[in-house]
Amino acid sequence: MTCDELRPDYLLYALGTLEDPERTELRDHLARGCDNCTAGLREARAWAYAMGSAAEAPEPSKALRNRIVAAAGGAPEKRSNWWAVLMAAAATAAAAAALIFVQAQNFRGEREQLQAAIERNRTDAAGLREMLALIESPETKEVSFGQGKPAPPKGRVFVHPTGVLLIANNLPAPPQGKAYEMWIIPAGGKGKPVPAGVFTSSTQGEAVHLFRPATPATATDVVAVTLENAAGVDAPTSTPIIVAPLQ
Amino acid sequence: MASAAIILGANERTGNPMLPLILAVFAKGDGDLLERLQRRDPQALGELYDRYGRMTFALIFRMVRDRGIAEDLTQETFLRIWNRIGGFDCERGAVGPWLLAVARNRAIDYLRYQGKRAEATVQLNETEHPGLFAGLPGDPLTLDAARQVQRALAELTAQQREAIELAYFEGLSQTEIAEKMGQPLGTVKTWIRRALQQMRGTLGGAIA
Repeated sequence: MTCDELRPDYLLYALGTLEDPERTELRDHLARGCDNCTAGLREARAWAYAMGSAAEAPEPSKALRNRIVAAAGGAPEKRSNWWAVLMAAAATAAAAAALIFVQAQNFRGEREQLQAAIERNRTDAAGLREMLALIESPETKEVSFGQGKPAPPKGRVFVHPTGVLLIANNLPAPPQGKAYEMWIIPAGGKGKPVPAGVFTSSTQGEAVHLFRPATPATATDVVAVTLENAAGVDAPTSTPIIVAPLQ
Repeated sequence: MASAAIILGANERTGNPMLPLILAVFAKGDGDLLERLQRRDPQALGELYDRYGRMTFALIFRMVRDRGIAEDLTQETFLRIWNRIGGFDCERGAVGPWLLAVARNRAIDYLRYQGKRAEATVQLNETEHPGLFAGLPGDPLTLDAARQVQRALAELTAQQREAIELAYFEGLSQTEIAEKMGQPLGTVKTWIRRALQQMRGTLGGAIA
């Protein structure tokens, strides 16, 4: 058989379900180092990955992760689940984009409105990629907060010359008309607090907030969060709920 | 002061089917993690689970339709990766496709055992050897690519799609698919070949 004749069988071979005589034919091609079939199978494996990766399911139990780590000889997770918070936020934005895309297919009469919504969510997804890039940068410094306290919020602050990213959990949703405001306080917390944007948390107590400062944060700064009016204020009016010294 | 605050407070669990995929798409840079796995760091296995656990669980659940069994098989999948990571090429390999291949095989093994199906003609061990994934791009999957595959599947006839899904999600050979669908083997082979030709035409080289 020729490579062209075998091409429709690549996926079944990759899935392990191809039968003879095609299976033996394809194996022969591969054993001869056939470039066409090797490349075709590579593509088929990527198809298989894409087919399997969009399966619908409820979430697994939270205990499963620890079971797996323990079975490999590791201790249960003790760190705050900041990565899961960011991943969940990423999922929310991108899932919303996907959902809106589907809606746009179904309701063409509202195309313009939906198109605008798609663009908004694309912006969110782009922002999330920015956050991941910031987290992964070798220049980024990471500081935890809320550790050892009985009633957190807990989380982490990632500080990069171009941005300060706060990821928190156990942060109650703010009351009506209120929001959380982040501050960068110079000189070890003794300088004048610089407003660093307002944000809210989810009903699950999770929040992600990225701020791009005009001048880079320094090692002696403190990142803090207070509860303020939803529009934000120029100077903090309440006791900080989160304090994270960068030093 | 320039501020580009991005606020993502709302975090409702939507149950969107794209969720597990999205989590994996946003997971970048597996190289360091894989090297830690090869150094036998159990916490690295936890981090691998953070990146791919939901997607792996979702596939297995789709196949076995039982939460408890799906969790057991997910655990088995990750431990299989843990035990075989030494043979994986961290530089050139793509761990996501490997994980899903292993997960699918665990679920098929279970389904075969439950259905008392014979070993049949399916060659599972041939589909999950770590070396098979060394030639794949490090990050072959994007949301667009996955959507394109899903769309290409949706464009197939119901019979073509059922045949492909029986091969993928139940691991049935063409002979077994023919029996299950009550159709001659030649007919099923034609459906599948035409389906894959059509998908190839739709997708072109968009995937991989």
